Amino acid sequence: MSSINVENVRKDYGGVKALHSVSLDIKDGEFVSLLGPSGCGKSTLLYCVAGLEEISGGRVLFNGNDVADRGARERNIALVFQDYALYPHMSVRENIAFPLRRQKLDSALVTKQVNWAAELLGLTGLLDRSPSDLSGGQRQRVAVGRAIVRNPAALLMDEPLSNLDAGLRVHMRTEIKRLARELGLTVLFVTHDQEEAMVMSDRIAVLSNGHLQQFDDPMTVYRNPINRFVAEFIGSPKMNILPAPNGNAKIIIGARPHDMNLVKDGKANTDDFAVTGTLAMVEPAGHVYFLDVEVGGTLVKATTADIGWSAGRR
Amino acid sequence: MALIDQHEATVLPPRRYRPRPPLFAYLASSPTLLMVVLVVGLPLVYSIWLVLHRANPITRKTTFAGLSNFRNIFKDPAFWEAFGRTLYFTGFALIGTTVIGMAIALVLNKAFFGRGFMRSVMLVPWAMAPVSVAVLWSFIYAGDVGTLNAALNDLGLGAWTQAWLGDGNRALNLVALTHVWNQAPLTALLLLAGLQSMPASLHKAAMLDGAGPVGRFFRITLPWLRPSLLFVCIIATINALMAFDIIWIMTRGGPGQATTVFAWLGYVYSFQFLRFGEGAAMLYVLTALSFACAIVFVLLLGPSRWRRRAQADTANAGAPNVAEAAVKARPVTLEPPKYKAPLLPRRARRLLAKALFRLAVLMIFLWSAVPVLMLLNMSLTPATDLIRTPASIIPSALTLDNFREVLFPDGGTTSTQSKRVPISLMNSFIVGTFTVLIAIALTPFAGYVFARWPRARSFQIGLWGILFTRMTPALTLVLPFFVIYRGLGIIDTRTGLVIAHLSILLPLIAWMMKSTFESVPQSLDRAAIVDGCSRFQMMIRVMIPVIRPGLVAAAIFGFLVSWNEFLFAMILTSTPDAQTIPVVLSGYLQQARFHEYGPMFAASVLSILPPVIIAFVFQRYLVQGALSGAVKG
Ligand SMILES: Nc1ncnc2c1ncn2[C@@H]1O[C@H](COP(=O)(O)OP(=O)(O)O)[C@@H](O)[C@H]1O
Ligand SMILES: [Mg+2]
Repeated sequence: MSSINVENVRKDYGGVKALHSVSLDIKDGEFVSLLGPSGCGKSTLLYCVAGLEEISGGRVLFNGNDVADRGARERNIALVFQDYALYPHMSVRENIAFPLRRQKLDSALVTKQVNWAAELLGLTGLLDRSPSDLSGGQRQRVAVGRAIVRNPAALLMDEPLSNLDAGLRVHMRTEIKRLARELGLTVLFVTHDQEEAMVMSDRIAVLSNGHLQQFDDPMTVYRNPINRFVAEFIGSPKMNILPAPNGNAKIIIGARPHDMNLVKDGKANTDDFAVTGTLAMVEPAGHVYFLDVEVGGTLVKATTADIGWSAGRR
Repeated sequence: MALIDQHEATVLPPRRYRPRPPLFAYLASSPTLLMVVLVVGLPLVYSIWLVLHRANPITRKTTFAGLSNFRNIFKDPAFWEAFGRTLYFTGFALIGTTVIGMAIALVLNKAFFGRGFMRSVMLVPWAMAPVSVAVLWSFIYAGDVGTLNAALNDLGLGAWTQAWLGDGNRALNLVALTHVWNQAPLTALLLLAGLQSMPASLHKAAMLDGAGPVGRFFRITLPWLRPSLLFVCIIATINALMAFDIIWIMTRGGPGQATTVFAWLGYVYSFQFLRFGEGAAMLYVLTALSFACAIVFVLLLGPSRWRRRAQADTANAGAPNVAEAAVKARPVTLEPPKYKAPLLPRRARRLLAKALFRLAVLMIFLWSAVPVLMLLNMSLTPATDLIRTPASIIPSALTLDNFREVLFPDGGTTSTQSKRVPISLMNSFIVGTFTVLIAIALTPFAGYVFARWPRARSFQIGLWGILFTRMTPALTLVLPFFVIYRGLGIIDTRTGLVIAHLSILLPLIAWMMKSTFESVPQSLDRAAIVDGCSRFQMMIRVMIPVIRPGLVAAAIFGFLVSWNEFLFAMILTSTPDAQTIPVVLSGYLQQARFHEYGPMFAASVLSILPPVIIAFVFQRYLVQGALSGAVKG
């Protein structure tokens, strides 16, 4: 395992600037998520670290060593692709063994390692299958197996869960986090799902349009977003953005729906921030109700645990 | 558990389920099937009758001969010699087209400036008529004044000049090479399609797993291309076995017997010795050989047995809940692979790779374009320059005289052959247009039915019939056509030629239409019917507009096939009234009058003009045509 330092990395595709001077310092054994809307440069950054793309400027260091002179083959990086990229003509066993065989390891050792990885991921009974005979979740685990079977300097994952259905996604994110911690892997995990990033990571790097917005631990990113983009991107439902009550146009107020509750009888504490509006819609979400409240032409989302009203009342 | 396994519950109808097609299906497909029976089935039956009979050319009496025609040719040593040559020619062509086609495909699969242009250039040798190809290359290899000798003279290597096609073995190799030049683009095209369907992540993953470029080619690219390679090998083999036009123009089986392959021997038996039965027998051996090769390839490259679907019970056993198992430590902590600093820094390696890639692109350009540019050069060279000694490829002046001669023939100076060029161009155009119009009017309906009811037995028979005609040499059909046409009095007419070309185009375009409709989701049919269309209205209002690009591709492709067709046109026409441009081109060579080289090359350039325009302007359609199963020789 290594630490990874990304220093002022830029990437241009012809005229398109995919990354503008991004810097990250990832510690050995740390789990870092790259979070951002699609097209913001997450995959590009991952590929730059892996050596699959040439960087246009800046440096990438593994354990303090500049790896500019190493191609993707020589960086000892493992990458789990969004489409898993399993070799379709090889069995699961051969897929997992592939990186070891490229290192010309002794075949007994290869078998041992493959069996270990298969057992770890619950693939033992599937080793002789072809990838086309696997379900999405199984393929995903084969891809992870192929990545961890050798001892990679870092494990990069490019939206590995986005092709799974909701339940499996939740299950797998716990699995991956556990695996990473117990094997002490340095992980760079790409996702556009803020919840995924929150629950999995030690730190989250929020990207937008090729710019790094914020790089902090999940709760800091949630509680102290550095700017409006981060504030709006993190948290579901989205944060409400409201004008300041004192009329100062330079200040806007962000309030998370979970922090906006109904006040009984229209009496709020004087030091609380309060708005009044028309209730447009109620969305039951199980543990809470989401309320769409129309305040001066904009919809504000709020929550309440208990509601005695119906839509349309003030 | 349940979450994991529900992905596998793809619902497939049981194998034996064959939905009964509605009446509409039979009505829609019957015109095409009927036409195919008429223009392919009938001649085929007649040729089978021929092969079972012996005709005495003098008394004109035919007697039933059983299989004795086959016995006779098997006793003929010439047959076995031709057999050996056919195998050699086919092997040469197969290896040549596959290696060169693969190289072209790999290079043109990379993104670089000018790739679209290069793809068009690459297609030109294949889009050209084999007759034009052969005319060009036979002059390149010609003794004394040939282009190759002229170029050697210009380079001061006069001592190396020779009659390139004069030596038997060399002639066979050079003819095979010419065939490769003509056919490699088809292989490249099919492999390119296979490469483009490969997910980019596959190579990235292999790179990260430590595989180098060569390793990735053999371990990732080749296995991925296996289905394409199977198809490519079958097509290349059939096309090589059936190769006829090039031999007819370049060597006519000679020198001696050196280039007499089966196709040529069958032609000689049928049309020179007039031993129809034995000629037909020879050609059926060719059909059998095609099938045998196809089977061998399927066994070698087809889907492998060991990858049989695993049993359902192991499937369930194999998915324990991961969360329950404790994460065990690695059995062995692997050392990271040793990093050896490479000989050259990464920058230098990249530059070197780039330079090599540029070189490869240049080579493809030279291979594909230089012979065609030579043809253009010769057509603009004064006719007298082409026969001067010592020969030189540098024209003393550039002139349009050759074109003037073939396009605006005047009474006095123009040769008879050149006078035929304008009419033949028009004939080619008329025949191509009508053939395509008829095929396009009929086949979408049949294609739709084949695509939607592929399991209905009657349609399966139809499809297999279409495949079978693909493996039958056109030579087998041409003799029955000749006899039938003489009876009907439509020999030497454009109508006759249109019908003959339909025998090639109907199966081809029906197949293309089938592939096109297979890509149209069936929900569209249902939507149209729910919205109140009858089946027929659905075809006209919804389906035809939806597949219009496919239709255009089929039309362009079909026109090219008809424009380039030589054998039917040669046998079934005799006067300028119906002769098409390949026939007139070949006529130049038969007259072989030196001063006609200039006009001959001008006519050649005119003959390749539509194919070249199509390759450049309608490249997309041409490629789509080739990919949707059209497998023109
Ligand atoms: N090969 C490429 N050529 C040109 N532009 C590219 C290429 N790859 C990515 N881009 C551009 O770079 C930006 C970032 O892309 P990407 O890293 O794939 O986004 P993400 O993974 O965050 O969705 C996008 O605007 C995309 O269009
Ligand atoms: Mg991406």
